[in-house]
Amino acid sequence: MAQLPISYSASITLNVNGTDHQIEVDHRWTLLRVLRDVLGLTGAKRGCDRGECGACTVLVDGDPVCSCSMLALQVGGRQVRTVEGLGDANSLNVLQEAFLAEDGGQCGFCTPGFIMSATALLESNTDPTEDEIKAALVGNICRCNAYGRIIESVKAAAKSEAS
Amino acid sequence: MTTFKTIGKSEPRRDLPEKLTGEAKYTADVQLPGMLFGKILRSPHPHARILSINVDAARNLPGVRAVVTPFDAPKGQVAPDMPILDTEARYVGDEVAAVAADDEDLAEAALSLIEVKYEQLPFVTDAVEAIKPDAPQTRPGGNLVGGKPLTLIRGSVEEGFAQADRIFEETYSTPAQAGAALEPRAAVASWDGDNLTVWKSTRGVHADQLALSLALDVPRGNIRVMGQNMGAGYGTKDETRLGAITAVLAQRAGRPVKIELTRQEEFVAGRHRHGTTTTVRMGVKNDGTVTAVHATTIMDTGAYLSSGPGVIRRAGQGALYLYRCANVQYDGYLTYTNTPSGGSYRALGAPQGHFALESLADTISEALGIDPLEFRLKNHVGLEGQPGERVTPANEVLDTQPVEGGVPFSSNGLRECLQRGSEAIDWGQPSERPESGNLRRGKGMGMFIYRGGAGGRSIARMRLESDGSLRLLTGLMDVGEGSLTVMPQIAAEELGVGYGQVLVTFGDSETTPEAPLTAGSTATFSTGTATKEAARQLKARIIEVVAPLLDTEPSNLQITDDGVEHIQYPERSVSFAQIAESVGEIEVEAAISPGSRDHVINSFGAHFAEVEVDTDTGQVRVLRYIAAHDSGRILNPKLAINQVEGGVSQMLGFTLSEQMLTDPRNGVTLNASFLEHKSPTVQDFPEMQVLFADVVDPVGPFGAKALGEPPSIGVAPAVANAIYNAIGVRIRDLPLTPDRVLNEIEAQRGDSQ
Repeated sequence: MAQLPISYSASITLNVNGTDHQIEVDHRWTLLRVLRDVLGLTGAKRGCDRGECGACTVLVDGDPVCSCSMLALQVGGRQVRTVEGLGDANSLNVLQEAFLAEDGGQCGFCTPGFIMSATALLESNTDPTEDEIKAALVGNICRCNAYGRIIESVKAAAKSEAS
Repeated sequence: MTTFKTIGKSEPRRDLPEKLTGEAKYTADVQLPGMLFGKILRSPHPHARILSINVDAARNLPGVRAVVTPFDAPKGQVAPDMPILDTEARYVGDEVAAVAADDEDLAEAALSLIEVKYEQLPFVTDAVEAIKPDAPQTRPGGNLVGGKPLTLIRGSVEEGFAQADRIFEETYSTPAQAGAALEPRAAVASWDGDNLTVWKSTRGVHADQLALSLALDVPRGNIRVMGQNMGAGYGTKDETRLGAITAVLAQRAGRPVKIELTRQEEFVAGRHRHGTTTTVRMGVKNDGTVTAVHATTIMDTGAYLSSGPGVIRRAGQGALYLYRCANVQYDGYLTYTNTPSGGSYRALGAPQGHFALESLADTISEALGIDPLEFRLKNHVGLEGQPGERVTPANEVLDTQPVEGGVPFSSNGLRECLQRGSEAIDWGQPSERPESGNLRRGKGMGMFIYRGGAGGRSIARMRLESDGSLRLLTGLMDVGEGSLTVMPQIAAEELGVGYGQVLVTFGDSETTPEAPLTAGSTATFSTGTATKEAARQLKARIIEVVAPLLDTEPSNLQITDDGVEHIQYPERSVSFAQIAESVGEIEVEAAISPGSRDHVINSFGAHFAEVEVDTDTGQVRVLRYIAAHDSGRILNPKLAINQVEGGVSQMLGFTLSEQMLTDPRNGVTLNASFLEHKSPTVQDFPEMQVLFADVVDPVGPFGAKALGEPPSIGVAPAVANAIYNAIGVRIRDLPLTPDRVLNEIEAQRGDSQ
């Protein structure tokens, strides 16, 4: 006989992009699932659901994490930042502008994850070397392999932040 | 020299801003009120007859709203060899049944309550084994598709080999390479009475509309397919079964249903690059002149045909057409096995075929004491095409994958690619000798030929809308290659307005005219030609209707960014909004079947790699890479460079690390994850330079030819040849993983001792 799902739920306060949300979460739900299915923030993508591809990258207390591999319960009371918190298509931030100018993406599915990993990098290191950029982005897979343009985008963003 | 307003400029990718902010919606992001979640039960056996399925327990689970099995599914076919669901499972992972439930966890639980009785059948997991006479049969008609090989001949290889001073023959293999687009395939289906709407990760909304109509027996006009943003596919996302299953569940539940494949499912049930074994035999004169080429490819299409016939055909084109030679032959054996299904994957079989051909070319060069670059410069096919007699009647359009000789190319920049690429990598200079004793460096190259972009019939519609805006409508999908940016560039240039003024509607079967699949590197050439023609017609119509308004002849008028003005008296002008207000909306539609009766349209290129091999670890590092391409005029340089760089990096995965592994004992895919089917990361990206030959094709729109797939063709031979140059070891089986490199170093040292 198959195991039927048993669920326990708890109420947590999730701070996303500066706004508190009181949410009743199933104990099995990942942060990614809550962001996408409960809060409707679909910028973070479900590329593998097991921490291999980085498409679901968000920042928790400033650190990039795979939101597919973190339970929502773990994030109660902490600060979550998603790509939706950075700017919209009509008012891109410096990093997004650099990605647009340097063509740092193709199909775009991995793009929000790269943007969040690069955001965390540039907030802790305003003048990264190419090796530091690669180390910061190595957890994000781009199957279109637009890596050359992505590296140039992050370099351009760092340069334009500095000027 | 022609000056352009937007052609040749790096206009920013039009859909990128919303992708950078997370606003871009992909199929999995679609949320509908009352939507259910679907899950698919998959076969645990590589080959089995399904005797019965008991779904009572699953159906009785609270929250389960619909179930479909092969015994109650609609009887339509989603492909010639594939019904919506079948009572025979043909690989581990084949679709057996599906459920829709209130949420994903319930749907998953329901799957575990379905009881299936299977009768296991004999199976085969290897293509070379599958074509042997006593192999287990995957199908009643036998494993070899069509019962015989595809054979293509120009001249006579017997004669060609008779003319040769020396004959060389080698066999190469390439593994199945998962497409594994980062977006796992997804579909959402919703019924409103008899009308079905499907949101789908696809590269062709009209092809899907037609296929769903046939599968579900619903009139085409009642089905709307919407593409959304597409998280790439490289050709692999062209099956209909997922959409059909989702639609059947939604119909039964009376509510919208979404199915998203998991990553593991995407690896197994998505499509992959076909594994191949290719033997190439070449005859040469002592001076290096090629007298005969004969290639034989055995290709594993897996459990289903999918696009296998096209892939086996394309695997032979290099052997048939890259080297100038009167006597060539290609035999392609496409075989079924009980493994996941192959499909279209960037350049189809061309990378596999070129890997064998261009590796053998280096073996021959070395044996004859001729530099590999010189061997290619001496023998590559030129503008005049191949020797021989034209077979295609003079009034018919020539194939872009010809076998016949006597048909010239519209343009051919292969020689320029060879020359400029070799200069960029300092071909004549040996690689530096690294300091460490275990490191060896070397350079290698490979050249290639590919279809130039003339594809299926394309329709483009252009409109002056009632508010004065200009809009291009096509059914094309931008799958990441950038057609959403390049098409309005073409339209704007032809109209004579700024790039930003042309709005675009893509990828919706209801509101856009029919376009072929975004496939075969044909979008720019084919839909681009239709777009250019539609823009030309719209321009003519606008000027025609404005002439009486400005009291002059059409020949005195020109289009500007703002509207139409008199050439001599620019103050006599009307804006697009005023035109629309006076005469209403203007719409034109151009349908074209691109191609040429006089010329073969092909793209070309040459790739050069410098690698470093660690002879202690077997690790291969690509230090420098030069990709030189003739794709005609480059319409948007930045997007084109991204396309080439991406294609090269993607195929460094194919060359060095990626392969789908099937357990021959039970047909199970052993490595359905990014950790084990190792994708390149940003750290693997080498120093790379992209060069474009100075070619303007006389047929293509604004001189453009195909670009999307060609970057993937030259990578494996360039890297494998560079490894040979570095360590003197020839590895004939991809991928060139560290263990394989080490084993070959050991084995070939052993041979020479």
